[in-house]
Amino acid sequence: MIGPVAYAFIATLGFSILFNIRGFNVLLAALGGAAGWFAYLLSASLSGGPIFSFFIASIVVGVYAEVMARARRAPATTFAICAVIPLVPGGGMYYTMFESIQGNTARSLELGMETLITAGAIATGLVLVSSVANLIAYLSTGGRSDRISL
Amino acid sequence: MNTNADKHAILHLAADTGRLILENGGETHRVEETMNALCRSFGYGDSESFVTPTGIFLSVSDDDGRTRSIIRRIKHRSINLNKVLLAGRLAESVCSDRLSPVEMRRELIRIENEPGYAAWLTVPAAALTAGFFTLLFGGGAGEFGVALYTGGTIKALSLLLSSIRLNEFFINVAGGALAALLALVSAAMIPGIQANSIIIGSIMLLVPGLAITNSIRDTLAGDLLSGIARAMESFLIAVAIAAGSGIVLKLWYLLAGGIR
Repeated sequence: MIGPVAYAFIATLGFSILFNIRGFNVLLAALGGAAGWFAYLLSASLSGGPIFSFFIASIVVGVYAEVMARARRAPATTFAICAVIPLVPGGGMYYTMFESIQGNTARSLELGMETLITAGAIATGLVLVSSVANLIAYLSTGGRSDRISL
Repeated sequence: MNTNADKHAILHLAADTGRLILENGGETHRVEETMNALCRSFGYGDSESFVTPTGIFLSVSDDDGRTRSIIRRIKHRSINLNKVLLAGRLAESVCSDRLSPVEMRRELIRIENEPGYAAWLTVPAAALTAGFFTLLFGGGAGEFGVALYTGGTIKALSLLLSSIRLNEFFINVAGGALAALLALVSAAMIPGIQANSIIIGSIMLLVPGLAITNSIRDTLAGDLLSGIARAMESFLIAVAIAAGSGIVLKLWYLLAGGIR
């Protein structure tokens, strides 16, 4: 399991440079990518099924991003956008296209549907976490709405 | 602060801060909140903003009921999370410390001109990213090596194409085509190498991760227009990548007659 998690770490590291993150935050974003992939592998090995595992992984990424956002005084998206990249279904997109040019329309549609649902599961996980985080922030500021959410 | 010129300056400042955040990959609700908070901290009682991925509308009313509004059109978007962070911090410090509009303008210009990472760093970063994604998606050492130069070449190509202002759609078509071409040629030349994991690892550089996530985030937050716009954006990017790599794959199989 260590191998793939390390691959995810370096791949996310590259992405955080491509997205112009600066300083120590680069390493923190990469760590988020590794954490997300670890959660995915763990959940998948406990036979959670791939889509459910992507959902769990994106919740882990979201929680990590919210915690880091507060620790580092940076927008949560700085960490979330990079750390979620390994989960994005690039493989699903590719095989959808691949089956389609082979003429296997039914298989292509099936894969396309699965890819869409995976993307939806990942985004829903992230949204769930950020909604809860906003709720906590709202309650802890006593309902003051004029806050800039960093 | 009470003069007309100042009030106009503040409106422009808020709109330009919003534009900076939006152009560099910030979410629409972040732009709206930041602009509203800025306007309120500078003494406008009422501030309404409406932000979509392609434009900013901001309207403020002062206490004697006079309304001013401003529109900023967003034509080019890229991802520079450092600028989003700096602009957010600037807005925050303005709201709490009461930085003067002149000082804020100076800071804003400084952030806007902040250089991104240079190509000597982003091209190797793209190479490593593609390489390790290939390993993650089941490639071996040989596939890793091929993905290294494929990823680097894709990044170099997209830097070149965006410097001549080619539109995003064709940059992604070209990137997808290049990924498939380099992977297939390498797989044909080097024995024991499969093209699939290389292509997937390399197109991960182009996939619309940010657009998909922001699209669903915006939709669930009630910003339906932004959600649809971003969904369209991510769909277009995905179609462009698929079209580029699909054309090359199709031609390859037609010419080589079969799948390796």
